[in-house]
Amino acid sequence: MRKDELTEILDRSLRGEPDFRLPVDFAQKVTSSIVKRERWKSDLQDYFFLTAIIVGLIAAASGIYYLVDKELLVRAFNFCEKNWVTVAFLFFTINFVLFVDKVLLRFLFNRWKTD
Amino acid sequence: MNDTELISQILDGNMNAFTFLVNRYQKLVVHISGRLIQRQDELEDVCQEVFIKVYQNLGKYRNECKLSTWIATIAYNSSVNYLRKFSKFDEVNPDDSIALRNLVDFRTENYETTDLKHYIREQIELLPIQYRTVVTLFHLEEFSYQEVEQITGMAEGTVKSYLFRAKALLREKLKHIVDENSLKLVKEISNEKG
Repeated sequence: MRKDELTEILDRSLRGEPDFRLPVDFAQKVTSSIVKRERWKSDLQDYFFLTAIIVGLIAAASGIYYLVDKELLVRAFNFCEKNWVTVAFLFFTINFVLFVDKVLLRFLFNRWKTD
Repeated sequence: MNDTELISQILDGNMNAFTFLVNRYQKLVVHISGRLIQRQDELEDVCQEVFIKVYQNLGKYRNECKLSTWIATIAYNSSVNYLRKFSKFDEVNPDDSIALRNLVDFRTENYETTDLKHYIREQIELLPIQYRTVVTLFHLEEFSYQEVEQITGMAEGTVKSYLFRAKALLREKLKHIVDENSLKLVKEISNEKG
């Protein structure tokens, strides 16, 4: 009998909830964090997609010029080789503007909107 | 709305349905992760990580078990990984006398004024981690032995053994303070407060 009673008290206590708590708006916080992540991922995908298209177009144009006017392509290549700093800077700037436009500004805007 | 409908709505991109799912299962996750990591300040981050994983893997969920079991498995694994990261996940020591020494003695002289349930709850937090886990899953969340096995990866016999040993440790701390009369009194107090 004594053992049964003790077991009963123990069982009831074991079913008692622990004192750990989450904020009342936890579900909203999780959802908005997931929405932000998904948006960031899709923006980044857009950016890489666009970069790939630009690089692809440049490659396609080079291919066509290789067949049509090989001389011009060689001159263009030589120009890039001689002015590689300027070309690299230009490439970096265009890429950065694209990144800022497609990813960074959207990210900062969303962050500012939710803050 | 049942779980199947809820999942199909989430997979269709309805984020309100996901908020609903989080509200439905956050208690389960907080109980499991809370009992394992025992840090209120880190708990929100761990629980958030759990639900992010739930969202990311929801497409892979195949109704082979209850959604609660599946979410509990993610919560358990995430919490264990968190503990392993900080080297706080200890294996069970076969000698329970060490665990017994960790528990605090129940003060015989003032048991009338002490909330016994509160005392037991405090002692549960002092039990070895695997004991706490099975106690939470089996008693608090009312999962079956098979479900606890599925969630934790422990064999059914091990689950039963840990449950028995956890209870035995708690009983050991209580048995010397109760006689026939005082136990009745403790039970009455416990009933009043419960």
